[in-house]
Amino acid sequence: MKNKSILEIKNLDVEYSTLTDKVVALKDINITVEEGESLGIIGESGCGKSTLSYAIMDYLPSNGLSNGKILFKGENLLEKSPKEQTKYRGDRIAMVYQNPYSSLNPSLTIGFQLDEVTMFHRGFSRKEARNASIEALKDLYLGDAAGIVRRYPHQISGGMQQRICIAMALLCKPDLLILDEPTTALDVTTEVVILDIISELKKKYNMSLIYISHDIGVINKVSDRIAVMYRGEVVETGSQHTIYKHPEHPYTRALINCMPRSGIVKEEVRLNAIPGYVAKRSAAETGCPFVSRCEKKTLICQENYGLKESKANHFSSCSRAYAEDVPDKERTRLKIPLENNVKEENILSIKDLYKYYGGPGKKVRALDGVSVSLERNSVLGVVGESGCGKSTMGLTVSGLLKPTKGQLIFDGIDIAVSWRKRTPEILKNIQLIFQNPGRSLNPSFTIETIIGRPMKKLLGIKSKTERRKMVIDILKKVDLGEEYLSRKASQLSGGEMQRVALARAFSISPDLLVCDEPTSALDVSVQASVLNLLGELQQESKASYIFISHDLNVINYISDYIMVMYLGRICEYGRKDEVVGPPYHPYTEALISAVPDVDPDSAKQQIRLEGSPPNPTKKIKGCPFEGRCHKKIGKICETTAPPKVYFSDDHFVFCHLSPGKLGAK
Amino acid sequence: MNLFKRFSQRLGFMILTLVVMSFLIFLLVEIMPGDVAQTVLGQSATPESLAALRESMGLNDPLMVRYGHWAGKFIRGDLGESLYMRGIQINTIFWRKVGHSIILALTALIFYVPLSLFFGVFAGVKAGKLPDSIISFFGLATMALPEFVSGIILITLFAIKIPLLPITSIIPIGETLWENLNILILPALSITLVMFGYVSRMQRSSMLTVMNSDYIRAAILKGMPRGYVIFRHALKNALLPTITIIGMNMGWLFGGLIVVETLFGFPGLGSLTLSAIKTRDVPLLEASVLFITFIFVVSTFITDMMYLFLNPRIRFKGSDS
Ligand code: SF4
Ligand code: SF4
Repeated sequence: MKNKSILEIKNLDVEYSTLTDKVVALKDINITVEEGESLGIIGESGCGKSTLSYAIMDYLPSNGLSNGKILFKGENLLEKSPKEQTKYRGDRIAMVYQNPYSSLNPSLTIGFQLDEVTMFHRGFSRKEARNASIEALKDLYLGDAAGIVRRYPHQISGGMQQRICIAMALLCKPDLLILDEPTTALDVTTEVVILDIISELKKKYNMSLIYISHDIGVINKVSDRIAVMYRGEVVETGSQHTIYKHPEHPYTRALINCMPRSGIVKEEVRLNAIPGYVAKRSAAETGCPFVSRCEKKTLICQENYGLKESKANHFSSCSRAYAEDVPDKERTRLKIPLENNVKEENILSIKDLYKYYGGPGKKVRALDGVSVSLERNSVLGVVGESGCGKSTMGLTVSGLLKPTKGQLIFDGIDIAVSWRKRTPEILKNIQLIFQNPGRSLNPSFTIETIIGRPMKKLLGIKSKTERRKMVIDILKKVDLGEEYLSRKASQLSGGEMQRVALARAFSISPDLLVCDEPTSALDVSVQASVLNLLGELQQESKASYIFISHDLNVINYISDYIMVMYLGRICEYGRKDEVVGPPYHPYTEALISAVPDVDPDSAKQQIRLEGSPPNPTKKIKGCPFEGRCHKKIGKICETTAPPKVYFSDDHFVFCHLSPGKLGAK
Repeated sequence: MNLFKRFSQRLGFMILTLVVMSFLIFLLVEIMPGDVAQTVLGQSATPESLAALRESMGLNDPLMVRYGHWAGKFIRGDLGESLYMRGIQINTIFWRKVGHSIILALTALIFYVPLSLFFGVFAGVKAGKLPDSIISFFGLATMALPEFVSGIILITLFAIKIPLLPITSIIPIGETLWENLNILILPALSITLVMFGYVSRMQRSSMLTVMNSDYIRAAILKGMPRGYVIFRHALKNALLPTITIIGMNMGWLFGGLIVVETLFGFPGLGSLTLSAIKTRDVPLLEASVLFITFIFVVSTFITDMMYLFLNPRIRFKGSDS
């Protein structure tokens, strides 16, 4: 039986005209969403995912021009007058956005913003509307709904804000709900909860969904069918399973292989990186959009280009993903696997480190007694939700923050002071890489100056020609050519900037590199190449890394040791394989289970954590995780700090549970 | 609680500013060339009479003593005696003139605030369209004209070509301002012309920022009608920054009054300050400048409080998670 279709997009083109030329944002999109069906749209940034959702809402910037048909229950939305549009928006079609905080009006109460929806679309009275709003909030499992409606958006956490946005979208029980990266700004543990709620409500109200994300793991959890977009085109659509297991388009295959995912570690595989980046598309361009980055291209491959149904419900515009006439590029792995039990000396020992922010009474305990050591020539991954203190730790090690108390022994010297008091030798030996390289590179300097400066200042190389030679060498190492010497930082893409930042850090051969979310702002295909590069540079230079990330897959890929943090304290520390497998700390367990799987067929046990980390200004007597722990024993967890339990020489957890219970299901 | 803390903080800050400023004003006048005693007694005074006068005016005391004396008198409301118009207490003329100026300033405010806010919002909503261009052009043109030029244009237009309003704003002897309210209009209008461009541009850009924000997009895509979105969702947030600017400019407005008042001969604080400068009337000058500072500081304070009240994000800061 064929379902009724809710949304049919036919030959949709969207163009933006700028002063100089026309840019194609969407090209010949054909998509159907059936009643009760959920379509996931995946692609990197700049591939037109968001443009597509705004096109459906008929909300394009004034220089955007759309052509084609968007049929919603048979009616073309593009032909509606502004007045008619308001009947669809928020009523029959609703949308949820990436950033819940900025999508809520800061000066109106949450109740007001909810109530107005039903007051307009349903003609409810103030009181009826309020009741409806409270009901909707309860649907989203928001406890104190009657209290929340009186608050302002900034008074509640990000996860709650997003639930409110979803509740708002569902007030009129829309036929179609468009979700544009709704969980990207949230922590994983919050993300799973929200994804669950979305799936549940979709069933309950028999809604159709369009779920947009760059993360295929997330898409897998909520969609029946997946559409892959690249540079404004839908290049492939099919079921979750087909897209993951039998992709036909080379881009789909490459994209999946870019993603760090469970079971993929640097010792075994190199991540697949797609060279280049997503370029803007001019109106004159025809043919395959992927040609400049495709590994599988041949002289004739494009002759037949265009979306075709290859198998039932599987459309692809190219079927050369596994074409054998162009063999797969060899995926060399990183050379040196971790040699078991060859203990290196410690390069850094952190002893009882504390960092408090704020004054008395409002003290935020960002680091609350952290002790850990880092071996020479190894990578320590630090993972945890936002606010767990991982960034603070990076900043204290690099000297940008002075710890409140505790020791940082680096090469035998205590460096628990701010960078101003550190010797040039130590400054040179500890380098820092940020999430957003654009902010740490002066946009008006040339790359040569940027990389050359620390060489001059910290290595004392005075000769300009000598420096230039060294800069060229180091650029080559990060896969950038000589032509970059004279470019300005502001002319680079995000990935290129991060490479330059890496080149600058490595130009003075540091012993320790602190990487604070270095790939979080990058697209997956670029992230892969930066991760590969980080891995190679590490092996080559034998430097140590402290690698901070919220993404457990990335941490798992790059690290030798992993430290899991919660509320300024360590939960678990150990060798990578020891940490990601049982026995583990309940928080580690929850974190691992929360990571959405890239493989749609993997059946992972899910642990739901309610709420968010508690207020960091409160002094904690017992276990910091006590309020959310699914294995909590009882009073003892609240009153007594958990002991440090060793499972092996370098694997320990802080928990009251007996080791046997920490691995049990 | 938090509101109170912030309130007292700001209040303390305001008082501190006043003390520092008063000292600076005192110092400035102190180091100004020219001897007060000389000014009083004229060029032909004998050294003995000069010394005697200095002694009787307390000019020989140490600096801090004189400052304390001076400031103490101010606090008690005693502005001292005018030097130029000997024997006349400053109090008797000063407050009447201040009153005039305040009335003029308020009139100007009543003219230009609603006007510029309205047209600013309008331009912001119609950004890029014809009304926007017209408003922006008009705003730029009037902003470029200094008060005395726009004042003269206004005089030519409404007092000479079409004799509706008086050319000068002098209050005839024996009458009060209340019987001559029409003299306020032209000076107020010329201030309005200068402020309009400035404030409406501010308002336009803050309206634009708000209209392009995520939450306005969300409100529109919730299906709310455009007019409603503008009034209920955008306006409050868009007015905030402009109100702050207007408040901050209150002091500046008072400074600007000097020009306009002189041009029109309006008997206010501005003309008074100017004549105090011309006649080297030190106590009067000190009183005027200090008062302008006072207005400036107080208006900043009020703006701050208003902002606090209108913006829940600041109001509840600290109760965030
Ligand atoms: S058409 Fe050619 S270039 Fe394009 S994706 Fe297919 S193989 Fe690659
Ligand atoms: S100490 Fe108690 S609350 Fe903390 S992780 Fe262990 S079981 Fe959970």
